[in-house]
Amino acid sequence: MVDSKHQWKAWLYLSPAIVLLLVFTVWPIINTVRMAFMDGYNGLAIIGGAEFEFGIANFQRVLGLSSFKNSLYNTMLLCVLTVPISTLLALLIAVALNSIKWLQKGLQTIFFLPYVTNSIAIGMVFAAMFNIVGNMGTDGNDIIITAGIINNILGVFGIEPINWINAGSAYWANITVMVVYIVWNALPFKILVLLGGLQSINKQYYEAAKVDSTPRWRVFTRITVPLLSPMIAYVVITGFIGGFKEYSSIVGIFGEDMGPAGAPGRLNTIVGYIYDALPKMNYGVASAAALILFGIIFVVTMINMQVSKKRVHY
Amino acid sequence: MAKNENTVMHERNIQSISTKQNYAKTFVKIGVYAFLMLMALIVLFPFYWMISSSLKSLSEYKLNVPTLWPKTIVLRNYAEAFTTANLGRLFANTAYVGIVSTLLSLVITVLSAFAFARLEFKGKNAMFAALLATMMIPGELFTITNYATINEFGWMNTFKVLIFPFLVSVFYIYLLRQNFMQIPNELYLAAKVDGCPDLKYLWKVMIPLALPTLISITILKMMGAWNSYVWPNLVANKKELQMITNGLRNSFTDAAGSVNYPVQMAAVAIVSAPLFLVFVFLRKYIMSGVSRSGIKG
Amino acid sequence: MRKRIVAFLLVMTMLLSFGALAGCGGKKATTANFEVPEVGYDGSEVTIYFDHTMGANLQEVLNLHIAEFNKLYPNIHIVHEQVGNYDDVRDNIAVELTVGNQPNLAYCYPDHVALYNISKQVVTLDSLIDSDIVVTRADGTTEILGLTQEQKDDFIAGYYNEGKQFGDGLMYTLPMSKSTEVLYYNKTFFDANGLTVPTTWDELEALCQKIKTIDPNSIPLGYDSEANWFITMCEQKNSPYTSATGEHFVFDNETNREFVAEFREWYKSGYITTQEILGSYTSELFKSTDTTRSYMSIGSSAGATHQRPTKGEDGKYPFEVGIATIPQADASNPKVISQGPSLCLFQSENPQETVAAWLFMKYLTTNVEFQAEFGMASGYVPVLKSVAENEAYAAFIANADGGDYIAALSAKRCLEQESAYYTSPAFVGSSDARDAVGLLLQTCLVENGDTDAVLDKAFKEALTSCREGS
Repeated sequence: MVDSKHQWKAWLYLSPAIVLLLVFTVWPIINTVRMAFMDGYNGLAIIGGAEFEFGIANFQRVLGLSSFKNSLYNTMLLCVLTVPISTLLALLIAVALNSIKWLQKGLQTIFFLPYVTNSIAIGMVFAAMFNIVGNMGTDGNDIIITAGIINNILGVFGIEPINWINAGSAYWANITVMVVYIVWNALPFKILVLLGGLQSINKQYYEAAKVDSTPRWRVFTRITVPLLSPMIAYVVITGFIGGFKEYSSIVGIFGEDMGPAGAPGRLNTIVGYIYDALPKMNYGVASAAALILFGIIFVVTMINMQVSKKRVHY
Repeated sequence: MAKNENTVMHERNIQSISTKQNYAKTFVKIGVYAFLMLMALIVLFPFYWMISSSLKSLSEYKLNVPTLWPKTIVLRNYAEAFTTANLGRLFANTAYVGIVSTLLSLVITVLSAFAFARLEFKGKNAMFAALLATMMIPGELFTITNYATINEFGWMNTFKVLIFPFLVSVFYIYLLRQNFMQIPNELYLAAKVDGCPDLKYLWKVMIPLALPTLISITILKMMGAWNSYVWPNLVANKKELQMITNGLRNSFTDAAGSVNYPVQMAAVAIVSAPLFLVFVFLRKYIMSGVSRSGIKG
Repeated sequence: MRKRIVAFLLVMTMLLSFGALAGCGGKKATTANFEVPEVGYDGSEVTIYFDHTMGANLQEVLNLHIAEFNKLYPNIHIVHEQVGNYDDVRDNIAVELTVGNQPNLAYCYPDHVALYNISKQVVTLDSLIDSDIVVTRADGTTEILGLTQEQKDDFIAGYYNEGKQFGDGLMYTLPMSKSTEVLYYNKTFFDANGLTVPTTWDELEALCQKIKTIDPNSIPLGYDSEANWFITMCEQKNSPYTSATGEHFVFDNETNREFVAEFREWYKSGYITTQEILGSYTSELFKSTDTTRSYMSIGSSAGATHQRPTKGEDGKYPFEVGIATIPQADASNPKVISQGPSLCLFQSENPQETVAAWLFMKYLTTNVEFQAEFGMASGYVPVLKSVAENEAYAAFIANADGGDYIAALSAKRCLEQESAYYTSPAFVGSSDARDAVGLLLQTCLVENGDTDAVLDKAFKEALTSCREGS
């Protein structure tokens, strides 16, 4: 099969992809590493004739910056909170869906709906649901015109309106809103994958369990979870990778200020930090931050793979 | 007699156990449905609230005790949203970028997948491994240099910048290659013997067979254009070039006026509608594409 | 397959490290000092690109005067473009500078110039201003390339000197049109309740308290720019903010903490709000007819028409707007911020382009008719003293009122306080300082908790973020 004509043809077919990949993927990888190791590399300064020393100063600087540390903290916190919650919830929903016949298709469709939305647009809906129209953050002089539907619903249970995202809101309140939104957004994909996995589990295992009249909980922990473990590992890994790149869901709710009024940047993430550095041409710092992000994702993925190698039951 | 009684007792026991089990079963069933319904309600609530709010007047929206459904339906919000956010222009821009980039992307993907699936050349496996390796790197790492590169090309604030940098998706090539590989090689060899040129074979045989995958790719790519926000926001934020998501976010934060929430919700509803329509009609393709990709859009 | 991927990654990493080592080094350096060609402008065909933020009505004025300018210099073609707002201009030019694609002439703020200067592509104007080379115009008349003493003297001194505040004594910009902050107040409400316009911050506090008793649902004052407020307070109290030389960031001191603490108290009492906290320009609250409204708003003098309420069905304004100087720490020594765009020139390969751009820049900044018309159309204040004697402009000012002619009223107030204008030093990082103190003030107003602790944390964070740069 290997003849010269084919060689030539294969490369011809591949050429558009290769050219684009060289320009927009391979070169960026090389260049990012290059810039990350040039101390204080700045797009404007280079025109001004500045020279940059080679070294790890950018990494040291980035890791020392309080703004970056803050972004890193937010990203990690959101990851650690949202991935387990959404995975567990998705697992419960998938198992429940799998155990019913009536309405299964309809409910499955409903649970998939959040996937086909625009995270900025629906973020604006969530923001409206949590938003208090009025003047907030004063000492007992707040003016509340309307408290927002979430506060109204909580009010039914006798809970005072909580300042979720307005001026003077607490960090935990902001994070709660973000967790709710991110989990809501993450559910469809996870349910889809887990349900797919459940449906492919051989029914014989359950028959056997039935014969032994094993309690439901044991069936769940001893049969369902182990057999589903590759799928769970998959959604956890993709969840972490996505979680470390969290950005637009926060823009959806808080806008590009990445925080409530009075505290812009409070909820900034690593990706947001990288984007902030671009218009100022601080490519060196941005590159270092991007490599750190890559490093984190790489390590987390590797750990996940190691853990799943030991635990996952194929 | 005694023995008989025993058996009866035993049977009764079994019966009561099974009715107990039945009760328990029904109870669990009810619990399962209740749980699912509750979750479904939570999932649907934002959509309901979006639509309900978008039909309210501003004064009704601002009521201290909210109404669950508007007392008077204000359809004018939708017209206002359309003009405030200049949605017509945004739709057109997004459709243009989406269609052009999807078409180009399909051509590139099909050709590359074909080369990897059917042709033999030196370094094929190494090359394919290299491609897959790039998938592990977060896209944000490329953004910095791409920002500088397109600037160097003079592409800042043009449609080119929204189309070219992300045309090649290694994942789609991978997906389609797997699909092509499943098509028996004999078909190809037979076609070769018949002197059928590659491209014709590709067009006549492989593409129809891989159509579901191609449709999935098309939909995901279009959804990607519809949902893209970060990159356009960096490199093409002029009014004439704005994509739908950027326009939506900006037209309600840049405005000097205080936010008119019902109009904002109407705009969100308009922007969400096409996605829902696509979903309703092409659910199968979206779901199958998504479950394999793990990426949004 | 996995082994292959890992191997590939390893090879890539090694290649990359070599690439990184080999790739160091900068591009050519250029000097900033512009050498004026001996012939001055030689009449050659050049195209000048001009980036600005003018809306359609201002472009109309500009186009008229480009036609006038072309009567004198028919071979200088002006291509101008509205890039968006000031920040868009800055971001665009910063990007364009990195590839040598910058315009010849642009709207600028001092902070922007400090940023552009990293690339050393901003033309210093001294040699052009001092040049006495005679240039012949198309109509046969001549002018000297530089500025005459008369022209220099006609500039309002404070505005002119803004061009030299970059720490090296060199001139980088010429003022285009200026504005300041003014206090807009609801005159109808003030008159009805017998309130007097505050001239000091102490009076303002007492007034807010009074307004709160009259209308508990109001937020008496909205201040648009948190950063301006902080910087202006420093200036009014003669307390350090930034310095162009030595330690740049000197705003963390007792006086500043004191006024921030005071404003915090006002916010917590429901007296004030700001643009960022409100989520929109405070003029929205000022114009509002809802239950929650404000009766005073401090904002740009160029935004007067945005502070005017919309006419009711009877064709009348719901209330009359009054305009006054913003409150002061010391009413006898007032200080108000000087803002509004200046113009700067960028290097280009062809020195004739630079000279031609200079001629156009000079026309825009020294032509009385243009300055007058532009001032009337924009609501900005002209930068030339002699505009006051321009008939049309004088008539415009004479018409001033708190309704239809509110822009004139605002311009009039600005002209009255000409001597009170201040500017703060510009250097690399001056915009960071501005952002930082704006954020600081915002945080201190809304953050809950013990005042001293909140202030201490906010001031320290602001200082850190300035020192760290971005």
